[in-house]
Amino acid sequence: MTGRDDMDAGPLLDIRDLTLSFRTGGGLVRALNGVNLTVGHRERVGIVGESGSGKSVTAQAVLGLVPAAEVTGEIRFAGENLLAVPQERMRQVRGKEIGYIFQDPLSALDPVRSIGDQISETLRIRGVRKAEAMRRSIDLLGRVGVKNAKERARDYPHQFSGGMRQRVMIAMALVAEPRLVIADEPTTALDVRVQAQVLDLLLELAEERGLSVLFITHDLGVLSGFAERVVVMYAGRAMEQCVTDELFYGSINPYTLGLLESLPRIDGEVPRRLTTIGGQPPSPAHPPSGCPFHPRCRYAIDVCAARVPTLLTPPNGSHPSACHRAQWLAEQPGVLR
Amino acid sequence: MTEPILEVTGLTKEFPIGGGFGRRKETLVAVDDVSFSVLPGEVLGLVGESGSGKSTTARCVMRLIEPTRGTVRFAGEDLLALRGPRMRRVRRGMQMVFQDPYSSLDPRMKVEDIIAEGMVIHHVRSGAAARRARVRELLELVGLRPDHLTRRPANFSGGERQRIGIARALALDPRLLICDEPVASLDVSIQAQILNLFKDLQQELGLSIVYIAHDLATVRHLCDRIAVMRDGRIQEIGDRDQIYGAPRSEYTKELIEAVPIPDPIRQREKQERGAALRRAAKAGPPAEVPTPAVAKAARP
Ligand SMILES: Nc1ncnc2c1ncn2[C@@H]1O[C@H](COP(=O)(O)OP(=O)(O)O)[C@@H](O)[C@H]1O
Ligand SMILES: Nc1ncnc2c1ncn2[C@@H]1O[C@H](COP(=O)(O)OP(=O)(O)O)[C@@H](O)[C@H]1O
Ligand code: SF4
Ligand SMILES: [Mg+2]
Ligand SMILES: [Mg+2]
Repeated sequence: MTGRDDMDAGPLLDIRDLTLSFRTGGGLVRALNGVNLTVGHRERVGIVGESGSGKSVTAQAVLGLVPAAEVTGEIRFAGENLLAVPQERMRQVRGKEIGYIFQDPLSALDPVRSIGDQISETLRIRGVRKAEAMRRSIDLLGRVGVKNAKERARDYPHQFSGGMRQRVMIAMALVAEPRLVIADEPTTALDVRVQAQVLDLLLELAEERGLSVLFITHDLGVLSGFAERVVVMYAGRAMEQCVTDELFYGSINPYTLGLLESLPRIDGEVPRRLTTIGGQPPSPAHPPSGCPFHPRCRYAIDVCAARVPTLLTPPNGSHPSACHRAQWLAEQPGVLR
Repeated sequence: MTEPILEVTGLTKEFPIGGGFGRRKETLVAVDDVSFSVLPGEVLGLVGESGSGKSTTARCVMRLIEPTRGTVRFAGEDLLALRGPRMRRVRRGMQMVFQDPYSSLDPRMKVEDIIAEGMVIHHVRSGAAARRARVRELLELVGLRPDHLTRRPANFSGGERQRIGIARALALDPRLLICDEPVASLDVSIQAQILNLFKDLQQELGLSIVYIAHDLATVRHLCDRIAVMRDGRIQEIGDRDQIYGAPRSEYTKELIEAVPIPDPIRQREKQERGAALRRAAKAGPPAEVPTPAVAKAARP
């Protein structure tokens, strides 16, 4: 066993008790309420949850992209607390050590500069010679599946289709050989066939390069094929955390169970009605007391409105769930099936 | 035989494109000779990737834009041959629900007025009292509360706005709803609520629905029959079990195969299959097994 990854013990990314509040006209709005999350070396971790649950804000916090917010807790990356480092150091980390891919490549790319120029910039600002930076960018463009990479490097973003632009973004994220890549809904805007190709590419590259990936999605189908471990978020909290198979076959969290039940399926029996979660997610400006899910939870008991459950593994369970009834759920034979 | 409520034949829509200095004017065929019909009480799915011509088809059927060719028969009338008030009266029987519940509702209007607007314009249920009673009925039908009536769209979540959009569409007692990606911007838990609402409406009111979507799972859940579109053309049309169980066109097969399933063991198997196929395609046919053409050529 060799390589830089095996040098340090512990996870590559270790987020502890992260809270984050935005200052708004109406006062402080709490977007993250104590998120705990780790990504191991060469591990692919998925964050799943509905819109507004805090997935993107978590990613932005890791990348140091929410400077105006009030943040507490720790974000340890390879041992270093990113919340405590100066801006200067953060700029080095971003792009070089942590690459990132967002949902909308058009807003992340400069429309008036060539693709090759933009990919190689990450290298040039770190002192790589221009010709060498371009050569490496073109190699990588070819690797992510852009044909005639040498010629296409001279093209501009609008000359690429949506799927091709997302491949360009992947090249941009990887060109400086980061150890961690954060991908925030990277395939959400793509058609289903292109999505499958881009996901395959990401998976291949992650394995080939020994990358750690923090992968954000709202789509449980996309998650199931990509992530090795999963964190389910709701109202700025982690509700459940486990290896991917356990989430789908042995969840012990009512919110996760509700999500899984409400999905229409591509095969099997077609139910007359879908099981739904009633109501809607809370607004961060008016969070409910106790468990944030209690107004919608069919398993709720008195204590749920009074006390916030902590993310804990129940005595007879195999993984942590933030639910007062996690132990009871773990005792039920196959709630979902 | 029951008469179809909607019968679309040879529908074609061309858009002029390009045509700047020195460039030749060209046309884009967004909808190309599309034919389908919808029976009373039936839900027809129109599925395809973005740009395949789904929305343009809907807009031609609603006559929001003029088709280049083709006929649209609705409730026995040739819609494209009608003009003026008569056209509008017939068309009233078809209503649309749009994808974006944010941009399709006027932010300054109260919910009550949004829902009643169509009744006012078309002089249905004249009398404020009769209209108000109908608005309350609709509100209950789509699962909103009476206290929602005086609020404005900005105070509603995406799911609630979509319910408002559906109530507005139902206000004129349509026989057919054309829903263009109505749940695409909603979270899954809310999406499930709206899909259930469509099923209830179809069963309680005997509504026909044309459900347009790119998402094959919601289409399967809701639709009796499905038309698969690609590049403006219908690739195949069939009932649900046939389309999902035994698709005839290669394209439909590909679309279904590409849908990621929320079941990790099966999804991983599926990805392996896909990767193996691509490796095989990259490597070409194995050397020791000559393809038929090669085998023939090698024969003395
Ligand atoms: N710049 C901002 N200012 C104020 N509130 C914000 C800002 N960015 C995000 N939020 C709020 O934080 C919460 C979490 O948002 P986000 O992380 O984007 O959710 P998602 O899980 O959909 O990615 C939401 O309520 C959102 O409205
Ligand atoms: N007003 C228009 N002018 C020119 N082209 C258009 C117009 N409306 C749609 N198109 C084109 O027609 C094709 C079909 O579009 P659309 O019906 O919106 O597809 P879908 O709804 O399946 O995504 C696309 O190539 C689109 O760019
Ligand atoms: S803590 Fe209570 S309300 Fe929250 S998920 Fe568990 S059972 Fe439901
Ligand atoms: Mg987000
Ligand atoms: Mg459309």
